[in-house]
Amino acid sequence: MEESRNSDYLFILMKNLNLITILYISYIMAYSLYGVIQEHSALDFLEKIDTMPPVGWKIPLLAIGLYCSCLLLFQIQNTYALGFVCKVCLELGIGFCICFVTGFSYTGVILLILADVMRYFPRSKWRFPFAVIISMCYLLVDYNLVSVYRNITPLEIYLDYFQKDVRFLLLGIKNALNSLNMLLFLVYMIMLMRIQLSEKERILHLNETLNHTNEELRQANMRLEEYAKESEKAAEARERNRLAREIHDTLGHALTGIITGIEACTVLMDVAPEATKAQLNAIAEMARQGVTDVRSSVNALRPDALEKLDLEKALTQMIDEMSRSTNVEIAYQCTARLNGFDEDEENVIYRIVQECITNSIRHGKAKRIQIGIDKEYNMLKLRITDNGIGCGTIKKGFGLHHMEERLNLLHGSLKYGGADGFTVEAQIPIRWGTEEKKDD
Amino acid sequence: MDGRKKINVVLSFACALLLLCCWCIYTDAFQFLLGFQKDVLTVGVFSDSYWEVQNGYSYQILEDAIGLFEEQHPGVQVEYASGILKEDYSSWLAEQLLADTLPDVFFVLPEDFNNFAELGTLMDLEPLIRKDAEFHRERFFASAYEYGQYNGMQRSLPYECAPKLMFINKTILDKEGIAIPEEDWTWSEFYHICEKVTKDTDGNGTIDQFGVVGYTWEEAFESNGVQLFNQQGTECCLADEKVEPALAFIEKLETLNGGYTAAYNDFDLGKVVFQPMSFSEYRAYKPYPLNIKKYTSFEWGCIPMPAGPDGGNNSTLDTLLLSMNEKTLHSEYAWDFMKLLTCDPQIQAEIFDYSEGVSVLKEVTESDETLQRLIESSGDSNILNLEILSNAVEHAVTVPRFRNYDRALEEVSKAVGDIIDSDSNIHMAQIIWNRRINQSLEN
Repeated sequence: MEESRNSDYLFILMKNLNLITILYISYIMAYSLYGVIQEHSALDFLEKIDTMPPVGWKIPLLAIGLYCSCLLLFQIQNTYALGFVCKVCLELGIGFCICFVTGFSYTGVILLILADVMRYFPRSKWRFPFAVIISMCYLLVDYNLVSVYRNITPLEIYLDYFQKDVRFLLLGIKNALNSLNMLLFLVYMIMLMRIQLSEKERILHLNETLNHTNEELRQANMRLEEYAKESEKAAEARERNRLAREIHDTLGHALTGIITGIEACTVLMDVAPEATKAQLNAIAEMARQGVTDVRSSVNALRPDALEKLDLEKALTQMIDEMSRSTNVEIAYQCTARLNGFDEDEENVIYRIVQECITNSIRHGKAKRIQIGIDKEYNMLKLRITDNGIGCGTIKKGFGLHHMEERLNLLHGSLKYGGADGFTVEAQIPIRWGTEEKKDD
Repeated sequence: MDGRKKINVVLSFACALLLLCCWCIYTDAFQFLLGFQKDVLTVGVFSDSYWEVQNGYSYQILEDAIGLFEEQHPGVQVEYASGILKEDYSSWLAEQLLADTLPDVFFVLPEDFNNFAELGTLMDLEPLIRKDAEFHRERFFASAYEYGQYNGMQRSLPYECAPKLMFINKTILDKEGIAIPEEDWTWSEFYHICEKVTKDTDGNGTIDQFGVVGYTWEEAFESNGVQLFNQQGTECCLADEKVEPALAFIEKLETLNGGYTAAYNDFDLGKVVFQPMSFSEYRAYKPYPLNIKKYTSFEWGCIPMPAGPDGGNNSTLDTLLLSMNEKTLHSEYAWDFMKLLTCDPQIQAEIFDYSEGVSVLKEVTESDETLQRLIESSGDSNILNLEILSNAVEHAVTVPRFRNYDRALEEVSKAVGDIIDSDSNIHMAQIIWNRRINQSLEN
């Protein structure tokens, strides 16, 4: 950054130096022209020249005018290729005119133009041809070369007007200015090259960083792929478990109800055939429901009742059917609002209630089951108790295990105890709790 | 249009404006734009006569022409700077040229013509001539007209001229019983007369009567048809076969005097029969009272130069030219004024009244009026034959025009002197010198 600022300063320095040199040379020319007239040596002067120079006052004016127009052109920043070519051509034309006005004794302006082109042309494939063409121009505007084709009045003839020592001094200063301009140009070019080199280094460094990051990304990708494979396997296992759970929940529930119902029928058949008939009807309905549930599980793995009804109604229907088919008294009390749960939550609540009823009837041989659902803060609490035989040591079967799994997915918890009958307490955090509060 | 674009447009516009200004300054177009030009025609002229005679009529012809011109072009003023001597004129003109104040129309001395034409300061008159139906180049003497050409282009019009003629001391010829030579006389007649008259008349042992004075290699080359340089001035033809007889003739003439060289003064004293002289010189010294001082002791006349074996009775023509400034803003007026000075019979006839030259117009020089004027001014009716004058002008040798002509001529002069003085083979010396001069011409 600092180097580029330095190169800008150098360019400004070159512009000023060129201005001084052009002023200096054109002033010498004008001065000697007027001197020749004053001293009545115009005839000798005319005999030495091959072409008429402009009048004295015109030379500095033309030189500076042309130079200023060249400076204006330097300020134009053109991004279009055609515009740029036009600009450079015009600059070269003006540069040539300046050389012409100063008798081709100073051609440093062409170097200035080259420096300008390099400045606005830092990274392009056209830079090299441009540089070559301008350099050729610089070589071609040499006095001796041009004088082959055109009559020129060289600076030396103007300098002849002065005395020998003054002449050498003036010529020396001119040569010094010319050399200084060359030197500045060289330094400028070296600076530009250095800027470009450091830029290249920077790009190289960036490239390295990019490669490094790329490598890291590749490794991360590999890890991700492995993880995806594991995750697939886990999902498979989970799915298998879920299917097992579904089968247990739906078929197990239905079959338990049917077995219990049929056992009751065998007892009742002789005593009360009418009641037995009604019981059998209830059992049939339960079997049908089971079939439907299985089908539904296969399809969407979702309780059919929940497909058609909302959670509250589905629960009531399921409890009613169970109670009727098994002749078990089921008391159901719900104080919380049950609509508004997500599908997975609904599924879990439904399955827990269903599983608990099934367990109480199948394992606890209960005759009375109490189901309570209420809300406490942001927790939905399910409490299912029965008057069954309970159990001293609880052997976790499929049912309890699945219940826990399901609740874990919802970040809920499960408590159970078999001291007096069997009690199951499930807590599920409510997602829409805040909304419900507002509703309240 | 975004900011950068706007700036670019403004910059381009400013740059174009600046370049336009530069162009206006360079081409002087600003003079038109700022209304600097006025209807004033400037003329560059010197105060004394081109023929180096103070006759008191220096601006007479110019004044008359200006009067006529201003009459024909009302509203146009003609101005000239007076008091510039002929010897300072070249320098003055050069200063005007460098200061860009060159007059619109100016007289050009023959010695400056090549330099000015080479620098491109003289307007090419061909387009003006082609455009002008009234202008007829045939009215001029061809040699005088061609005098104003440079590289085949008409850069000047002739104003007045004077041919070189051979002046004869008739008194000596009468005394020696020799008839005045015919107009088409030759070198051998010339030599025989010289041989006859070169003698010691008072018997003191030194020759005191001479055949010729001032007859140099230049006259010999001219009358033997030698073209010394090609038109471009890049090649010298000193080794030409016509050169050798001329050199031999000069050598032969010089040996006649037996080592003594006649001075120009000897002609004035009546001791020399022949002297080549410009017609203007004749006119300058003939009239009263100047002729009292010179040429009183003898009768004299003039005839053309003697012809060499390969040439004719030719000599050179000295011509004063009139040119137009290349950068003039009034080329139409300038052309009209130039025409008035060079083609108007009335103005041209005044040359015979107020100057010592000859009009460049055939019709004027050959007219009876002119003859009358000449007789009146000289007071002698038998010495001048207008036909001789007219022929001499018409058949004058035209020299090539190139920039370093005078320097090249000096070199040839040196060469001729060297060849004649040395005893070596003339032809070999010619070839050696020719090569040397060619080398210097190339530089």
